[in-house]
Amino acid sequence: MYTQALLALPLVGFVVTIVLQGTARRSPAILKTWALLAFVAMAAVATLAFPEIGDTYTGPMVFGSSLSIGLTDLSWWFVMMIAGITVLTSFFTLGALRDTGTYPMYYGWLFLKVFGMLGLVMSRDLLTFFIMWEIMSWATYFVMQQGKEEGREAALGYLVYAIVAGMVLLGGVLFIHQSAGSFEFAVITAYMAKAEFGILLASVLLVLVPFLIEAAVYPAHGWLPSAYASSETSMTAYLSSISTRMGLFGLILFVFSVFGLKAIDRIGISAHLNLRTILLVLAALTAVLPTYTALFQHDAKRLLTWHSIGQGGYMLLGLATASTLGTAGGLMHIFNYMTYVALIIFSIAAVEYRTGTTNLNKLGGLIVKQPVAFLGMLFGIIGLAGIPPMNGFVSKWFIYRSLILGGYPFIALAAFIATVGTIMSVYKLIHNTFLGQLPERYNDVKEVGLLMQLPIWILMGVVFTTGVFPGLILQWIAKIQVGMGIVPIAWTLGGVAREAGDLNMMVVTAVFMATFAVGAIIFFIGGKRRIVSQYDNYAAGHFLNKDVPYNFNYNFYSAFDHIFEKLYHDAPVQTAIRNLGRFVRMVADYVRRFFTGQINTYAAYYVAAVIIALAILKEIP
Amino acid sequence: MNSGIGLIVWIIAYPFVSFSLGVLLGGYGRKLTARIQRRVGPSWIQPFFDVVKLMSKKTNVSHGYMHDVAMMMLVGGTLLTMYFVPVPGFHYFSQFGDYIVIMYILLVPPLGMALGVGQTANPNGSIGIARALQMLAGYEVTFVLTFIGFAMKNGTTSMYELMMIQQSGGVATWGLVTNPLLGVAALFCLQGMMNEKPFEVVIAPHEIATGPMTEMGGKYLGMMFIQHLINLVVELTIYMNLFLGGATNWFEYVAKLFALFTLVMSVNAVYGRFRTDSALRFFWKLPLPMAALGVILIMINGI
Repeated sequence: MYTQALLALPLVGFVVTIVLQGTARRSPAILKTWALLAFVAMAAVATLAFPEIGDTYTGPMVFGSSLSIGLTDLSWWFVMMIAGITVLTSFFTLGALRDTGTYPMYYGWLFLKVFGMLGLVMSRDLLTFFIMWEIMSWATYFVMQQGKEEGREAALGYLVYAIVAGMVLLGGVLFIHQSAGSFEFAVITAYMAKAEFGILLASVLLVLVPFLIEAAVYPAHGWLPSAYASSETSMTAYLSSISTRMGLFGLILFVFSVFGLKAIDRIGISAHLNLRTILLVLAALTAVLPTYTALFQHDAKRLLTWHSIGQGGYMLLGLATASTLGTAGGLMHIFNYMTYVALIIFSIAAVEYRTGTTNLNKLGGLIVKQPVAFLGMLFGIIGLAGIPPMNGFVSKWFIYRSLILGGYPFIALAAFIATVGTIMSVYKLIHNTFLGQLPERYNDVKEVGLLMQLPIWILMGVVFTTGVFPGLILQWIAKIQVGMGIVPIAWTLGGVAREAGDLNMMVVTAVFMATFAVGAIIFFIGGKRRIVSQYDNYAAGHFLNKDVPYNFNYNFYSAFDHIFEKLYHDAPVQTAIRNLGRFVRMVADYVRRFFTGQINTYAAYYVAAVIIALAILKEIP
Repeated sequence: MNSGIGLIVWIIAYPFVSFSLGVLLGGYGRKLTARIQRRVGPSWIQPFFDVVKLMSKKTNVSHGYMHDVAMMMLVGGTLLTMYFVPVPGFHYFSQFGDYIVIMYILLVPPLGMALGVGQTANPNGSIGIARALQMLAGYEVTFVLTFIGFAMKNGTTSMYELMMIQQSGGVATWGLVTNPLLGVAALFCLQGMMNEKPFEVVIAPHEIATGPMTEMGGKYLGMMFIQHLINLVVELTIYMNLFLGGATNWFEYVAKLFALFTLVMSVNAVYGRFRTDSALRFFWKLPLPMAALGVILIMINGI
């Protein structure tokens, strides 16, 4: 019962928002409150739907089979993540979205997108899955448009990729239906276990490619950065944290449940060289290359969107090992990344709300003006860099251990190289925003209001708590792993049981707190300190005042720039996309010449076509 | 000594032991450098005098709360790493965190320092941090690869178990002997980890003032000194545990510590300073391929 209600709620929300659209300009509070209430109700219904895990509900008949939805452990977990982050985002927009009049359909498309995502994770047959996939893709496109002017064009870029992905998926759905004779997951699983190799390969590729595109896996990641970065900032947080992961959800569902791991592992020449190896290599490239591209970004939002791609690589790394530790890490990383990236972007949004910019070369020193946003970003970047005691570390620990013990040393190295890149770019992010010299023009900047602070505080709590007590998340992951046909992880509240490795985050955190206290004691043993002005600074004898810019944030990693400049500017994917664009334009240019706009030409075409047709028809006996 | 009263005594006494060792090592290093340069050099426990002097300064200039907290994070993070690295007779905490944990908590002190230095709003400091973070891509990446290879070979990521495996057959089972390519590559990285010449571009005296330490004075500099001294011991111990078979007793431990440090300081004494990009290129041209070759050999032998 609750399952259907869960799916119906966002659709009702969508319709009501369209009706209420007119109020957006005069009294934006109505729309905002409505959206928040509806999403909170949705989260409540999602929680209530927990006992219904395992039930399937059928809907109308289409093409001789009925559409069906239902909850599994995996989908309930995703539903909770979607519900949680949607509530937080809509709460954050209460304060952050100053000008609802500019984006009257912001909440409308959000409702539709949530509908698509919930339907996707709850779908129990291939046809429902495809329909929901399409709704979600289109809603994502409309959601992206609710931003600045340049966002429109970037959203078009996304649309091209989404249409390609959708078409390939459609091909896959039809192909599988043709060969297996049904849209039902169970029938497909049984069929694929014994299917001919060619059919299996074609089905797997046709289905996986769209997922990899949606999950922005290298080299199909090009659409993401500009599309996300030019959206409205709260929407950037939403898209980065959950939207991209729908591709991974599809991958998990199809690789582990619908096709089954056994069928997938038939594609390959040996146990160490199969489809999963290719996925691992792609995942490693996804983790490394975008992370180092993030290093050279000058815009906070853009920098983080590159990490959305890179961290997706970690998730895929863990999942592609298909081991207990690896899948646990991959699944956990989806949740962890969602929490800390939302936290970081909310903090950035708080800065943008007061300063009006996210340009890293213009900000600086805001720690004294916006300490809460600083703390939020600090917690977030510690998570993103994967440093204890935040939650990002735990999932990375799983992924490393599975890669090292699974015999993938160079993939593990790639993961660490990506970590180094992450640390570098997040330090640049926090340094250029909050540390260094405070420009005079930001002297009047104030902390944002409580409405915007609250989601930041909540997420800080989540990032820290699930880092110290990873068992809270691991208990779900163990259940999901059973559903995926993988030996579940032996978890404890603080980490993993002895047989799975040495990790207890409760002890690590406790020791850290104790040693931190020792540091504090040493600090207070020393004499009294005095806080000085930022201009009271060593400058080799030069006098500093507000007229002397004395800051280092432009071209922050100059040595890297020096070494990689050429590689960065002639990146293979960018060059390929540029060349592809040039090729398409060239072809289109030739095609254009046929359309002269004169009726005589078209008449001539018509006559020619008729003559050719007659000639051909005459040949046919 | 890994339960009951003995454990509590260890937990309380170990920071002091570690700090004293650090003082001796630091003093020895300065003395050694002085003798190489035909100077007399300072006293053996000069670092201790330095710390006492700095901690009792009356003027302590701060640039804000992050600057203060950073100092606690710096010392706290180093002590945290120290507890998780096993030494003879004390490996209680290694059951709660393997080397992957150590690898990441090693990043806590640099992060703390980076945040604190960021708030001091001195471009020299920020440049130092930017250099330090870029250097991670050189030595830390290579060092982690040597660890990955070694852990894969022995089928465990626990530092204590790796140490025990090496101790099972005397010198012949030391990591440096069984996997010389990894061991030597890691030795280069050790030089970088310890910020000694030719990889001391982070501090770079006279070039960027003293980098991260530019705005540090009084107790702030004192705490950085304390951290540096403990860190000396921790980093040498990590290398020792991974490639020199750890140590079975304290005599062996101290002997290996000083021997390893002599090597590091000797290299330090005769080299100049590499530029950041030169240092990175060096790491990517020599130690990294060396470690990669070592790992490939392990993979070939494994199949």
